[in-house]
Amino acid sequence: MKITTYKFVVLLSAMLLFNSSCDDNFAEINTNPVVATSIAPGFQFTYTQLFTSGTRYENWRAALIYSSTMTQHIASLCGYWSGDKYSYNGAFSSSLFDRAYTGQVKEVQDLINTLEKGEEGDQTMLGMARIWRVVIFHRLTDLYGDIPYFEAGKGAITGIDFPKYDTQQSIYADMLNELEQGVGQLSTGGFGSADLLYGGDVDKWKKFGNSLMLRLAMRLTEVDASMAQTYVTKAIAGGIMTDNSDDAFIEHVSGPSSGPAGLNSNGLGEVLDQANGFGEGCPRLSATFVNGLMANSDPRMDIIGTPGSGGHNGLPNGLDATTILENSTGTTLAEFDQINQMLVTVSSPMMFMTSAEAQLLAAEAAMRGWASGDAASYYNQGVTNGMGQYKIFDASLDVDPAAVKAYLETNPFSMATGMAQIGWEYWVATFLNEYETFANLRRSGYPELTPINYTGNVTNGQIPKRLAYPSNEAGRESFEAAKTAQGLSDDFSTYLSAPVWWDN
Amino acid sequence: MKSKNIIILSLLFLTSLVYGQQVVSGFITTSAGDPLIGVNVLEQGTSNGTITDLDGSFSLTINEGTTLIISYTGYETQEVTVGNQSSFDIILVEGSYLDEVVVTALNIGRKKRALAYSVGELDGSSVATAKEVNIGNALAGKIAGVNVSKPASGAGGSSRIVIRGNGNISGNNQPLIVVDGVPISNSNLGSAGMWGGQDFGDGLSSVNSDDVESMTVLKGNTAGALYGYRADNGVILITTKKGNARQGVGVEFNSSFLAESFVNNTNFQQEYGHGAKGVKPSTLLEAQQNGLSGWGSRLDGSSAMQFDGVARPYSYAGNNLGRFYRTGNTFTNSLALSGGGENHNFRFSFTNLDNKGILPNSGLDRKTFSTNTSSKFGKLTASLSGSYVVEGVKNRPGLSDSPGNANWTVASLPPSINVNDLIGDSNKPGALPNGTELLPGSNAFVNNPWWAAHQFETNSGKNRIFGNASLSFAVTEDLTVSSRVTIDQFTESRRRLTPYGTGYSPKGQLGEFNRNVQEVNLEATIGYIKDISSAFGINLLVGGNQQKNNSNVLGINGSNLNIPFLHTLGNLANQNLNHSVSKSQVNSVFGQAEFSLNSALYLTVTGRQDWFSTLTDPNGAESVNSIFYPSVGLAYDLANGLELPSIFDFAKLRATWAQVGGATDPYQLGLQYGIFAQGHLGQPLGRINGSTIPPLTLRPSTNTELEIGADFRMLKGRIRADIAYYSRETTDGILDGSVSQTSGYASKKVNVGKITNKGVELFVEFTPILQSNFTWNIGFNFAQNNNKVVSLLTPEDDGETFRLQESRTRVAYVELVEGQPYSQVQGFSYERDASGNIVLDENGLPVQGALAAFGTGVHPTTLGINNSFKFGDVNFSFLIDMKKGGVIYNATSAYSYRNGLHLATLEGRETGLGVVAAEDISTYYNRIGGSIGEEFIQNADFVKLREVVLGYNLPNDLIQDLPFESATISFAARNLLTISKNTDNIDPESTYTTGNGQGLELFGVPVTRSYGLNLKLKF
Repeated sequence: MKITTYKFVVLLSAMLLFNSSCDDNFAEINTNPVVATSIAPGFQFTYTQLFTSGTRYENWRAALIYSSTMTQHIASLCGYWSGDKYSYNGAFSSSLFDRAYTGQVKEVQDLINTLEKGEEGDQTMLGMARIWRVVIFHRLTDLYGDIPYFEAGKGAITGIDFPKYDTQQSIYADMLNELEQGVGQLSTGGFGSADLLYGGDVDKWKKFGNSLMLRLAMRLTEVDASMAQTYVTKAIAGGIMTDNSDDAFIEHVSGPSSGPAGLNSNGLGEVLDQANGFGEGCPRLSATFVNGLMANSDPRMDIIGTPGSGGHNGLPNGLDATTILENSTGTTLAEFDQINQMLVTVSSPMMFMTSAEAQLLAAEAAMRGWASGDAASYYNQGVTNGMGQYKIFDASLDVDPAAVKAYLETNPFSMATGMAQIGWEYWVATFLNEYETFANLRRSGYPELTPINYTGNVTNGQIPKRLAYPSNEAGRESFEAAKTAQGLSDDFSTYLSAPVWWDN
Repeated sequence: MKSKNIIILSLLFLTSLVYGQQVVSGFITTSAGDPLIGVNVLEQGTSNGTITDLDGSFSLTINEGTTLIISYTGYETQEVTVGNQSSFDIILVEGSYLDEVVVTALNIGRKKRALAYSVGELDGSSVATAKEVNIGNALAGKIAGVNVSKPASGAGGSSRIVIRGNGNISGNNQPLIVVDGVPISNSNLGSAGMWGGQDFGDGLSSVNSDDVESMTVLKGNTAGALYGYRADNGVILITTKKGNARQGVGVEFNSSFLAESFVNNTNFQQEYGHGAKGVKPSTLLEAQQNGLSGWGSRLDGSSAMQFDGVARPYSYAGNNLGRFYRTGNTFTNSLALSGGGENHNFRFSFTNLDNKGILPNSGLDRKTFSTNTSSKFGKLTASLSGSYVVEGVKNRPGLSDSPGNANWTVASLPPSINVNDLIGDSNKPGALPNGTELLPGSNAFVNNPWWAAHQFETNSGKNRIFGNASLSFAVTEDLTVSSRVTIDQFTESRRRLTPYGTGYSPKGQLGEFNRNVQEVNLEATIGYIKDISSAFGINLLVGGNQQKNNSNVLGINGSNLNIPFLHTLGNLANQNLNHSVSKSQVNSVFGQAEFSLNSALYLTVTGRQDWFSTLTDPNGAESVNSIFYPSVGLAYDLANGLELPSIFDFAKLRATWAQVGGATDPYQLGLQYGIFAQGHLGQPLGRINGSTIPPLTLRPSTNTELEIGADFRMLKGRIRADIAYYSRETTDGILDGSVSQTSGYASKKVNVGKITNKGVELFVEFTPILQSNFTWNIGFNFAQNNNKVVSLLTPEDDGETFRLQESRTRVAYVELVEGQPYSQVQGFSYERDASGNIVLDENGLPVQGALAAFGTGVHPTTLGINNSFKFGDVNFSFLIDMKKGGVIYNATSAYSYRNGLHLATLEGRETGLGVVAAEDISTYYNRIGGSIGEEFIQNADFVKLREVVLGYNLPNDLIQDLPFESATISFAARNLLTISKNTDNIDPESTYTTGNGQGLELFGVPVTRSYGLNLKLKF
């Protein structure tokens, strides 16, 4: 017994002390058994698309609280609906920026990197990924101005940890080129059913890429007409979206609100769906929106709004719980239109671009003489598509062709008022794609909205012209340079008044 | 009784004739013949030892021919050569400390005078009388250089202990905790951040103060050098109570009841009520939209509409905090059985701790089973010790951000609203008749506090076992071979419920998970002790250790409960699965050599080599995964070596240098992808896992320290002093360096930075009065640590910063700033003109200026003064705890500016301020509360009466007819009084996290004072 123990102790000590290799199996131990070191491009593309549709976080803050109220689609009495009062809330303002780079840009850059190596996937996939990258970036630069673009999202690829800011001008030039190149790469293959937009349909993707090119090109009407014209011509020649079957949207289903699969739900629905989501009680349709639709006897009124207690009635922007008591069109929330719940459930589709927009942009291009064809017929097609685009939310949300016809007859296109008419229709058609509504409103100036002037607003009573960067970007050299170059001060709340490059 | 013991013990000795081993026994008394209780009796060079019993007797089985070291605080240590004698009457002489023995790294007992570094020691009773639920928090103010911060997170929360300052930019800055040789995990299991959360406690909360015999703090690198990379932040060695030789079974019963009441630090305005723009609400819509806004009209007793559609008097509603918080209490009962004989000794204890928190519906219970046994079989000694701890915590309080945080709403209600009106359904506090949340306003993220306290669930349970089995074999008189297996394992289960019907989550959310964490160490050592000549001795040790860590988490969380109010996982419409594993290993070899000359000069050198799996490239690429940690130390006793005036009993000078370091977590090298097979519309989803840019290679961090000091005993122990100066430099820290989010990532794993900590520690104990029936003792400990973040991401001091924490207000942060001390509390300042005046914009509102640093959240200066008195059978002590030089961002005051609660917001309500009209005055205070951090970064210095104990030992003639050997009853109190502070509306110790980023406050659980009785009976 004593000897055995003695031997045991000595053996044990010897084992530990004189083990010739002190790091046996360490590589294996340091390999995580529950994750992968590479992934199929399709899986990552699906994720990236879904993340671009977004989470509740930025859809609530940047899209609804700010964009939808600044554009006067929506109004709210609630103090934290900062866009309704033109007040500054740093975290709300930067929410898309905060989510996009780490959730969307990072993935799409990694995917493009994988595809460019050519070991996996094909050229069509690469083309789609490049187009999708533009989808992501144009929303960012439109909302924030100069942003990191060329070096962005490549931390694990190039090691660049503080990407430099690029001018919006250079970003637009590159994005337009990327769209042209990307569309050119579309041939056979592709992502197939992993593509949530068109199930891999290459022809639809070409139309989508060209329509996006048209959208981006038209952004430049005020600052670089020649580049605008060049790409408008290319886009229309390449073939843009023509009918509702071309509409670009992602379908959603009810899903958890946290974690990666939190992307399953429509981010707007997670805020607004009274049955399944948070059921945000603050927003009502804006008086601007309801009055405009009613004035035109627009058949979309019943699709978009659920009437208040006394019929369709929009809430004026810029009121609060006290000032509404003095309001002549109603003093309680129950009197005002809610957004039709059928448009904003957790399983509603999320719109990226519709054929209505493409046709309306083409109508404007035609007015400018940049597109062959008749502005009126583009316009009529745009309006028709705009009326038909709600069927994907629910089959019942359709406008009778006779009603469309009647609407076009009562509100005929005229070259004299064409710009305003196109602007109004575009504004209506992009309801619930509020980033786009806000961008085109600033660019075109239509519809002509009356700003509010609420106590404590940071824009001197003018409709904001952009949202502010996240404050944690402050201090780094490239940011400070971009700030100076754009004439911005240290005070982030003033950024809301500063136009972006194409809005100058 | 005494004579009976002698007979029995003598008989036992006669029958003990195991080869190579012998049992020795004896009595230890003072020179006056009084028995000394609790004297340490230790077999030289081992951890084998015992303490004397109530009658001064001891018995110990030892190897033949060794030496006993007899030590007792306040008495001269004696060495007794055993020889053939087996029974000893030992008289200890007071006032000399030459040979005190202290437990050091790897639980090796070493002579204090040989040590070249400073150690802090604490007796178990000093943490067991005025108890804290988390023992870590009971150390506050007691040991020089040990900075303890208790968070505002309730009884189940964690503690933050930092020794000699923060050295690591990222990762752990708290010491290694070792219980009877077992390294135990002290990781924080979850804390609140800017978006809220709860404190899920740490590992120290599993240590039962009634079982603690003593604690030794190894402050510097040299002290912990044998622990290699683990000694980066110092070590706390906890020794638990052991059985000792005695007749029969000793029984000890300890019962403690501490009541706990909240301290109201708020001083809010009581003149203006709920409303906006100087108008009280008249409609339900207004009442709801105004939420927590206290910007109404002057309270006039008229009627005003409230959140529930009921009009109530518009007058001051009284103290809502007092209505909401209840008196908490902690009831602790422990029973210990112990005993021993010639070859075996044991102790078994059971402790039940039952806590009721001040937050309604919260509390904690903890049951601890501990055992400690040791047996000798000839030359072989086998011992086994360990604890099994079962802990259940009900409703860990929500902290920081609003959702789920009851404290938020209670502390923010306008003066005209009574929190009791928010109770709603008394059978379901906080609910409307339909069972959903009765909201205090239209912002659904502001919870009803009763709903948050009673309907939310944040429960956790932990089953933990830690202990060790060790064998020691005396090969020869000089050579001992030992091995030890230690294990620390726990499973934690957690359930978090946002109930169905919650305002911001109408269909609810639920998550449950189980976590398993395990560490196993296999350690073997060979020790050799030899006096080469009468003047020269050596003490050598070599050993190896293999450390394996494993953990896994499996959980489900989701949202949208299908069946209303059925709060089960199966009822979730949407479910997410979480599964993660983590595995790592460190192999080490180490050695220590001590050389002594004339028992006056001691030279010690140590070395340890660690190999880390976590720094090994998983794909086999070249990586630096190993590092060597050396130390060298010199100690010289002037009193022994030179002729010093006779007032010096002992005067040691020491100097030492050591290098230790740190590694990182598993799986940090290389990009990884996660896949979510449930996907979307049948398509799997794949993405990059994590938000950190992976490094190409990493190397271990290093931490180098030089320490010099002196240890004096004078006037036969009436004055005892220890002074230390240290200079520590931590370089190559492994951290997630913050990067711009536009890189796609939040951080980048890098080896960077340099942080220095330089400081002094002073410990003085002084006995002004020493009489047989009256003694007065003053203990004074002081530490000053000067921390400097020398460089961060690049080697230059170029103003780089590294963010540790952000406040919910988003205008204050805790950051590391080059050239400044750790944990700088940064905030946006007021924009000022050239002459320093605050700049106002055209609307008359202060303009936000640049982000600036306003001081450190970690107090550089700490001071504890303990006075203890003994009058016969009565003892009385009180501890004053002081910290100086720190700041805190007072977010409660920032929100009280925004909500119109702060006293300062009274100005301008009637007359306006400058161009700001009276009705718009809220915009002025909202601007300050929402945009200016500077206004609320306040001096966090304090002086507190931390602990008071008044005890009474029932005299023998009182208890002689009772079945007790002794009985002590004590009144104990903690945090009775804040003597000075500078923060308004909050306690300066209100940080809501124990993470590295210290200095942010926001609606934590209010601090409490506790007081009660402690009864200790021995049978």
